[in-house]
Amino acid sequence: MTIHDPIKVDMPLRDRLLASERLMEETGCYDGITELRLRRQDPLKYETLHTKLRATCVSAREMARRISASPGVREVGEMVVAIYTPEGDAVALSNGIMVHVHTMSRFIKWMINNGYEENPGINDGDIFANNDAFIGTVQVPDVMDVMPIYWEGELVGWAGAVCHELESGGITPGGDVCLAQERFTEGLFVCAEKIGTNDEIRRDYVIRCERNLRMPIYWVLDEQAKVASCIEMREGVKNIIRDVGIDYWKRVMKEFIEEGRRGQLARTRQLTVPGIYRGHTFYGHVTEGKQGFQPLGPMDWLYNIPLELEITRDGKMKLDYEGTQPWGYHSMNCTPAGMDGGMFVTLTQHMNFEGLVNDGAWMATELNLPHGTWTNPDNEMVATATSWALLLPSYGVFQRLLSRSFLARGFVEEVFVGQVNSPMIEMGGTSQYGTPFGMAHFECAAAGSGALAIKDGLDTAYVGWNPESDMGNIEIWEQNMPMVYIGRQILSDSGGAGKYRGGCSFISTWLLNKTDHLRLVTSEHSSRVFDNGGMCGGYPAPTCQQHRAVREPNLAERIEARLPLPHGIGHDRRELELLEGEHVLVEGPYIEKPHAEGDIFTHSYNGGGGFGDVLERDPVKTAEDVENGFITEGAARSVYGIVVAEGDEGRWHADLEATAKLRADKRAERLSRARPVSEWMADEARRVAARDFAPEVRLMYREAMRLSEKFRAEFAEFWGLPADFEMESAK
Amino acid sequence: MTSYSKEVIADLIEGNLPWHDTRRIMSAYKDDDRFDKAIAALQDRVEWDAPIILPVSSHLFIADTAKGRHTLCECGHDFGHWTKNWKLSAAVLIRDSDELLAEIYPTADLPDPRWMELREFICPTCGHLHEVEACAPGYPVVHDFQPDLEGFYEDWLGRALPPEPGVAA
Repeated sequence: MTIHDPIKVDMPLRDRLLASERLMEETGCYDGITELRLRRQDPLKYETLHTKLRATCVSAREMARRISASPGVREVGEMVVAIYTPEGDAVALSNGIMVHVHTMSRFIKWMINNGYEENPGINDGDIFANNDAFIGTVQVPDVMDVMPIYWEGELVGWAGAVCHELESGGITPGGDVCLAQERFTEGLFVCAEKIGTNDEIRRDYVIRCERNLRMPIYWVLDEQAKVASCIEMREGVKNIIRDVGIDYWKRVMKEFIEEGRRGQLARTRQLTVPGIYRGHTFYGHVTEGKQGFQPLGPMDWLYNIPLELEITRDGKMKLDYEGTQPWGYHSMNCTPAGMDGGMFVTLTQHMNFEGLVNDGAWMATELNLPHGTWTNPDNEMVATATSWALLLPSYGVFQRLLSRSFLARGFVEEVFVGQVNSPMIEMGGTSQYGTPFGMAHFECAAAGSGALAIKDGLDTAYVGWNPESDMGNIEIWEQNMPMVYIGRQILSDSGGAGKYRGGCSFISTWLLNKTDHLRLVTSEHSSRVFDNGGMCGGYPAPTCQQHRAVREPNLAERIEARLPLPHGIGHDRRELELLEGEHVLVEGPYIEKPHAEGDIFTHSYNGGGGFGDVLERDPVKTAEDVENGFITEGAARSVYGIVVAEGDEGRWHADLEATAKLRADKRAERLSRARPVSEWMADEARRVAARDFAPEVRLMYREAMRLSEKFRAEFAEFWGLPADFEMESAK
Repeated sequence: MTSYSKEVIADLIEGNLPWHDTRRIMSAYKDDDRFDKAIAALQDRVEWDAPIILPVSSHLFIADTAKGRHTLCECGHDFGHWTKNWKLSAAVLIRDSDELLAEIYPTADLPDPRWMELREFICPTCGHLHEVEACAPGYPVVHDFQPDLEGFYEDWLGRALPPEPGVAA
């Protein structure tokens, strides 16, 4: 075999995979494709074919969404489909939750590497499913189905589809199960299982789903939707093969990937600057005293997430998470599949906005995920049910590092302060129809985005994990849960401050309706520390906010008396105080006794970080923000140094003269309060040497140093400490 | 090949370009001469003459001064040699109490200052806020960006990196 030939098809799949990897190593090109021959020979045919493939994926997904019963898939689009090579590399994909284009690739390769060709066998019409993150997904609710594509008895590709399930049968309802501290409480696992043959899902598999889920209609109909989309793609690929011939197909899918790889390298060289970029974020979580959490490790903990990005002269991006924290007995661990997927979805949004988007882009990157950390646990029993909690902040750092490279190159319009983690609400119990139910509420797919270098972030319109970012219609959510909205409001001051502020988030306020037992559970809260950041002088968006609920409020009385009703928490966070009843204020995951009809519950989402110095923000724009509830009048004055006043008919305007004076004062005050970094460092070094930190902070340093000598050495060197410096255990 | 005038790029950088035009630039093929146009626009904006080699933040530039290749604030404040972390030569305001954090977050729940502080890195001359670090107390100051200037100029831009003033070739 020469390196220019496609891999021989009569090889077993595992040998084909090994040969493909070897060819990549030997030639530096995907599958040994050193020349894009088909593209050169007939570019129009080549491009047309890729467009057809992509259209096949998009249309298969749209068709499948209409089969689903889940508002997550139907309303919010929590689904993606893709077409793969026989070795499991993505060739073309639909829009949607693109993180899984690469996690499905891991799943297919895992089956190949684990001898599935021999047992359980891979045949035309087989359906394989998986939601095990160590095999290839992010978390249990991300259930993926793949089907082989055969042509005249030969496997020539795969079709795959993923839906995020709204209920996965864990210890708490929903899928982002924050109470899961090991995999055994995360819910129903399907571990690379053959769940169907001859295009039909097995009845016994469906029965298992029906008996182990709180709301099986979502999962089971999503399975039907995924299988339908896989069949649609499979038949689409066969039609293409009929048109172009099998030899062309075998070559062209590899060329598509190699072109994707080359395109990524070229874009990096076009848009960025080579060098080393560094950043970090943190995550602070509290569960101490919350019922249901087992004392298996620290109950309140602080994670550091440092990230170093090297852009090499050949355009390769290397990401290194060395120095981060170990995995833990919590639900936020991630697997390499999830981390790879995070990289893939970030690249597709921020760099691959033209040309071919497929696994080739991912191949132009390199990730160092230190073994034993939350990014790559050395124990496969760990829980990953809420791995997005750490994954999103970590790739938010990547977005900021990438953005600095865009800024340095002059492409300011591509600078983006990044995605944020945002808490999720899930529920279960008795529905408004009197039936058992469980559901994740996906209005969280519309948080605030980070700012850009030229404008404010998007308000209530972006999450990194679903680029379509749709909160869904209130009426649809109300059909699916025993709560009705009494308010959905912009959360003022929730965007990080800056010349360009981060996008604001929103808060929902619900009245429980026609249920005597509703368990409300939330997850993914970094309440103690910022898990997002600003850029170029912008501030992070606020930390995850506390929950406010009112049990047995006197709402009916107020309605009867025609008194004002609360529709949220208000600018002053006190609007709910209009109500009498048992007021509940909870930090972190909401794990409380069930609620019932008449109770009020609020849940807020997170905003994005800011860009640039607050004293450069446009006063006129800020007056509009105050008028529309994005910024409070107080924050305009105290944070931005902007004086605004309300005029006729509720219109706000900026007082430019007063603003100029206030800003001059604030700048002078800033200079008078700041001190030289060298002076502060001398004091701080003494504090570090004395280990004068909160126990959780000491533990964080101790663990980072235990896992990384590099972290210890750099820490010690920075503070002028002995090279063998140790942070004592938390007492 | 896509290309825009220096004036358009200057407006884009300042956030003054109408959204319709900005959106068009975002969606179009990228302009290969962007770096030079952006440098020219930024050079017009700053009040000093030292040639800009690379922007490293919105108001910080690596520039060739009489003292050598240094990181300069837009106001001209010199943070030292470009290979050093400019933050170590800045002024800093540490927000490590509820009171100080509430100045920036007047209506929101606050982080725990025992776990997290904000470090504001400020130009000692003009008071511009260049960068905010949000980190645990005791965390080493991050050196955000160490560009490979030689690789960038020679391999990517296809021209020699200008010799650093005062340094023998």
